[in-house]
Formats: sequence, C-alpha cells, structure tokens
Amino acid sequence: MGPIMKVTAQPADTTLTLLLDGELDASSAVVLDTELNKPELLKYKKVLIDCQRLSYISSAGLGVFISHLQRLQDSNVKLVFFNMQEKVFNVFEILGLDSLMTIVPTEQAALAA
Amino acid sequence: MPKLHRSAWLIGTAAACWLLLLLSSLSQGRTVLGLPADWPRWLLLLAQGGFAASVFLYARLQPNPLVGHGFLSLLRRLFWRGLVLTALLVAVQQFGQLTAERRLPQPGDATATVGYAISLALFIVLLAQTLYIWRSLVNFRGSSRLRREWTAFELLLGAVMLFQLFVWQSPDFLQVGVITGLGLFGVYLSGHQRWVAYLSQGQKMQAILLQLGVLGFLTVFLVYLRDAQADPVLLAPPTQQAFLVLTSFFAVFYALAGLLVTLFNLPIADVYEQRRAEILSLQQLSQIIQRGQTAPEIYQALFTSAVQTIRADAAWLDAQLQPTEQLGPLPAPLTHELPAADLPVLRTQLATLLVDGQTEITDNDLVRSQRLAGLSQPYGSAAVLALRSSTHDYGVLVLLKKEQAGFDPEDLSILHTFTTQTVLSLENLQLAQEARISQSAQDELRIAALVQERLIPKHLPTDNWFEISTYAQAAKEVGGDFYDFLHLPGQRLAVLIGDVSGKGVTAAFHTAQMKGIFHALMQPNPLAKKDRERYPDPHRFMVLANEALTHCLERSSFITASFYLIDYEAGGFSFARAGHCHTLYYHSIKEEVSYFRSEGLGLGILRDASYGRHVKNQFWDYNPGDVMVIYTDGIPEARNASGDEYGEERLARMLGESFYQSAEEINQHIRHDVQEFSKGLPLHDDQTLLVIKFKSSQPQG
Repeated sequence: MGPIMKVTAQPADTTLTLLLDGELDASSAVVLDTELNKPELLKYKKVLIDCQRLSYISSAGLGVFISHLQRLQDSNVKLVFFNMQEKVFNVFEILGLDSLMTIVPTEQAALAA
Repeated sequence: MPKLHRSAWLIGTAAACWLLLLLSSLSQGRTVLGLPADWPRWLLLLAQGGFAASVFLYARLQPNPLVGHGFLSLLRRLFWRGLVLTALLVAVQQFGQLTAERRLPQPGDATATVGYAISLALFIVLLAQTLYIWRSLVNFRGSSRLRREWTAFELLLGAVMLFQLFVWQSPDFLQVGVITGLGLFGVYLSGHQRWVAYLSQGQKMQAILLQLGVLGFLTVFLVYLRDAQADPVLLAPPTQQAFLVLTSFFAVFYALAGLLVTLFNLPIADVYEQRRAEILSLQQLSQIIQRGQTAPEIYQALFTSAVQTIRADAAWLDAQLQPTEQLGPLPAPLTHELPAADLPVLRTQLATLLVDGQTEITDNDLVRSQRLAGLSQPYGSAAVLALRSSTHDYGVLVLLKKEQAGFDPEDLSILHTFTTQTVLSLENLQLAQEARISQSAQDELRIAALVQERLIPKHLPTDNWFEISTYAQAAKEVGGDFYDFLHLPGQRLAVLIGDVSGKGVTAAFHTAQMKGIFHALMQPNPLAKKDRERYPDPHRFMVLANEALTHCLERSSFITASFYLIDYEAGGFSFARAGHCHTLYYHSIKEEVSYFRSEGLGLGILRDASYGRHVKNQFWDYNPGDVMVIYTDGIPEARNASGDEYGEERLARMLGESFYQSAEEINQHIRHDVQEFSKGLPLHDDQTLLVIKFKSSQPQG
C-alpha cells in the first residue's frame, strides 16, 4: 500500500497552510507527523489545516494532531482546521476534539480565527 | 587481421612447396626447367617437409572445431573431408591408369609422378585434418598438463621431419628408437578418450560408423602409398617417412582406440573419476542442506566442490560482494591460490563486470579482452558466477585458469548446478531463519491473545432487573477494544467500554491497563460518608482515569471510553462519555430509538487538570423495556466491498427492529446484519457490542 495521502505546505507570512489530500490513517500519519515536526513550524502564528480533500481520518491520524497540540500551544501557534467534510468532522466531534481545537467552515474564517 | 594473414601465407608456402616437390620429383631422370636432372634428394625432402609443415600449421591455426558436445558433428566433418580426399585419390589413380593403358609406362613416367605428388599432398591434408580433430578430442576437458603434453608431441613430430632432413643417414637403431618412442607417446595420448563418456547410446553407434569410415580412408591412402613405394614405374621418390608414419600411426591408433572404447564401453578411469567427483560434490552440497548447516559451511562446500571439480588454478568466493540480505555474520572471503593483494583488484573489476543483472561471465581469452588485468599472475581464462536468486544476492564466485579456453560449456553447466544448488540452500536457510523468528513472534502473539482473552469478563453479571449480552471480535490476534462489568452492592452495576487508539500489541497492553484502572477506581472508599459516595461518579472516574493514563500512554495515543453506573433502586443511571461512540438507546415509553449525543473528550488527549472541564456527568431515568446498545467504532465503521460504512443510522434501525426481543437476540440481530454488510471482507477494526435490556421489576428470590 503506497502513501494514500499527500500533504502540501503553502507558507505565507505568518501562516502556514497544510493541504491534506487523501486518507489519513496509520501509514499516512507518518507523512503528516514529519511535516508537523519541522522546527520552522513554530515561526508561524497559525497553522491552517485545509481538510477539503481529507476523506477519512483514523485514530492514528487524530493521534498526530493530538501529539502536536500541546507543543503548538506552548509556542503560541494556533492550529485551525477548515473546509472539513462532515464525516471527518463527526470523528473530531465524537472524540470531543471540537471543544479543544478550532474547526471553522471556510478559509476566511480560518484566517480570521 | 594477422591470423588471416598467417593463413594466407601458409597456403602460399604450401603451394610453393608442393610445386617444388613436384618439380624435384619430375627431375628424376630428366631435365626440368632447363636445370640438370636429378635434383638433390634433400631438396625433395625439404619441399615435402615444407608442404607438410604448412598444411599442419594451417590446420593448427584453425579455431577449436569442437563446439560444446558436438562430437558427432566433428566426426562427421572429418568423415566427409576424408571421403572427398579419398575420392580425389581414386580419381587421380583412375586417370593415371587410363593414360597408362594407352602407352607402356616407363620408369619415372611423368604422369605417374604427378599423380603421386597429388596423392601425397591429399594424404598429408587428410592427416592434418585428422590430427587436429583428434587434438580437440584429446584435449576435451583435459588438464593444462595434457595440453602441454600435446604441444610437446607436436614439436617432436616436427623435429622428426628435420631429423630426417638432416640426418637421413643416421643409423637404423636410432631411427627405430625415436619412432618407437614417439609411437608410444601417441599411444599414451590415444588414451584420452573422455568425450566417449558423453555420448548417448544412439550417438555411439554413429560415432563407431564414422570412425570406421575415417579408418577406411586412412587405410586406402596407406595401402596406396605402400604400393607406390614398391611401384617400379614410380621410381619411388623418398618421403618424409618417419613423420608420415608416425602421424598416420597416431591418426589410426587414436581412431582405433576411440572405436574400441566406444564399442566396448571401456571405462576410462579419468573420465569416471571426474564424473564421480562431480557427483560426490553435488551429494556433499545436498547433504549440507539437509543437515541445515550454517551459511559459512554452505559457502565452503560450494567453494571446495567448484575448485576441485573444475581444477581451477585460482579461485575466490566473496559472500560480502553485493549481499542484499544478511544471513547472520557473513563468512570471510574464501580464496584458493590467490594472494590477498589481488582481492581489491578483483573486487573493483567485478563491480564493473557484474552490472545489468548479469549472473554468469565466461572469458576464455583474458589476454585479448584485457579483463581482470593487474593480478599478480597472468591468467588465460576466467569464469565469474554471481550467486543470485530472484530476490537476493548471496555473493560472487570467481574461478581462474592459467590456460586460455579453460572453461568449456560442460564446466559451466556443472558450475551452474553448483551455484543453483547453493543459492537454493542459502535461500532455504534464510526461510528457515525467518520462519523461526516469525514462529516465535506468533507464539508470543498467541500468548498475548490468551492473556487478553482472560481479561474479558467470563461471568456476566446477572440479576432479575436486567439482561446483558456481549459480543467482541478482534481484527487481529490481539485487540484494542475492552469492556468490563462490576456488580456493586446495593443493586448497582458499573459498566465500562472503551477503545485504545491504534491496533496490535501496544493497544492490547493499554486495554489491560484500563482494566486495572477500572478495578482500582471501583474499590469502595471506606471514608465515604454517604453510601452513594463510596464509588466515584462517572465524571470523577474519567478524570482519575485520565490522570492515571497520563503517566503511561505515549503522546500520540488516546483512549475513548464510556462509563455507566446503573442504579436499580433509583431506576436510573449516570454516565460519562470520554470521546467514545454515542450510546444507542431504545426508549420504551416514547417507543423511540435515539443516540445520547453528549460532549466528552477522549482520555489521554489533555494531560492536565483542565481535562475535567471537557467531560460531563449525565443522568438518565430508565424504564423497563428500555434497551441500551453500547459498542465500539468497529461496528458503525464496518465497511462493505464498495467501501461504504455501516453507519449509525443502520445500527439504529436494527435496534428498532429488534428491541422487543431478549438482549441476546437483539445482539445477534445487530451483529448478523453487520456481518452480512461486510460479508467476505476481513475485519477492518475490532468490534465490540454490548446490549443491556432493563426488565420489569420482579420480586427477588
């Protein structure tokens, strides 16, 4: 099984947008983890996660975000999700992550958040 | 093309010598070309010797006519050539006789002399052809020593020509001695009939016929020449008798010996010895496999077998060159008659030779190809064999011989058998090792599965006010789902269900941990003032569990759980959901199926005191006939062949269809539908399904 998810980073002045394309499961979680582990990530004020093309997220995929949550918070980097499909949002919601992470409908809202 | 050049020169020399021979033969008793009659005898012998030498050298220069095991085609070629030459001889004779009939032949008759010169030339050509075809057969699979002996034989035959040229008046006993000695040498060489052992039964018959034919042609020539010597008409010119006699003797004797060997299947010790050595080596190799030896032993066996069977002058086996897979510690390179200084040279050159996935390289002329140059000793031929299977490289075997053309197809096929066998045994060894490792891993997993199996509550709590039915299926040997019950005093029941993120052994460890946490937290608190406070409420349970997990859960893992504390006397239950699937509920009064949609964060996500704010305690009053369906995400996320999820809606519908049945029947109804949904597919995730049905209150006892 090859990588079934692609991560594209779009850096701007103070924000970094990560485009997730595909299914985020145990095997593709490594790709995202590498991306989130980069030290330069902490330079940004916001890391926006564009979930428009994210079709599935497993517990391992959630684990990646969870494991970076504290580190980003400590460095005052805000993690914002947007364009999330309903199915994926349900997974966040059931786990209670919607109360912990900022999940907004659109990119404008994400930039404003 | 220096070789072609040489051939042309030889043909020219042969033609010139023959002309000289003819003229000096004709000069006997008459003047030729205006020169006085009776040219000296030495000139005639020189011309004859020159012709013979040119023809023999020409034949010698031709490439080895033996290709692979083409003995029969070789003999056939000789047969046809012999036939043509004999036919020419007969034609020349017939012509001579026709002219002789017309007039009375005089001694020294010119026609007869020309005929004799032609016949002698034909005979010499036949002898040269025969000798060099016999050379191929003698040297077939011969050692370098045999090749040297053959060269000596050729040189001695050449010397005999000179011998007769310059010392023709030598005493008879010396001549007889030299001829006898060389004859015996020829007899010795005739013993090398290895090729016969490679003939099949049918080929032997053909070989015998062909050899008989060759013998016949030689006999025709010999009889003619014997008669010619005694022919009064011919004035019997002197011949290079010793050389011709010796060569003919060898040619005839080799054919005769081959014939006899073929006919009677005489064992030729050497051949059978070599064959036996090959068989023994193969047996040795197979035995080593059967005994399940180590990689170094297998390499050593291959090396020894190959060097001995092929009689290599030098050899090298390097398991460290191009290995793709470690078979334990790799054996040191094995060498035979090869100084250590040569190894780096070989190594770098092989790296360039064995590109493009080549597995076998034979070079029978290293001098010309300039391959493997720079070694401490010059070698003439080399065979390089990579030990390679479809998936792995196990090293390289290099065999070197000093002589050129040292490796014939037969050698290579033997070597090929050896290396194939070796690769096979190394692969077997590797498979065996992998099987051992995976076997032990399987054993460990089986133990883990057994341990986990023991963690699952075997005795379901029973009481007259509820029914419980459980179903759990792990996707792998061990799973990440867990559930547990505890019957508390005062007709209370604690139920825990959960799911550890991730799968496999790590997840299984945490399920055991959760079970420990559950039982530790559900110990009655002796300091509690009120009975209700003896046990933590669901909210407190989650906060305490989250705190406990902080110390043992890796950062990217989390656990979802739901905890229920059911109180029969109060007719209700309190519960908390920590990121777990929503509880499905059948409300008997409203006759309605719905999910408890409540907030609550999974365990291990927030690892400080703030977690308490993210989980809630909820209460519900139940009625008899109500059904609670508690499950893990393996149920709604079960997939069918087209990748669709089973879903919460279908789950709710199943409960709607079966709520009136017993807890066990409801459970079966749901799980059969789930199984039907993902029929034929492997389990995607662990599945757990608990059904609790509240019953009408019945008097105890």
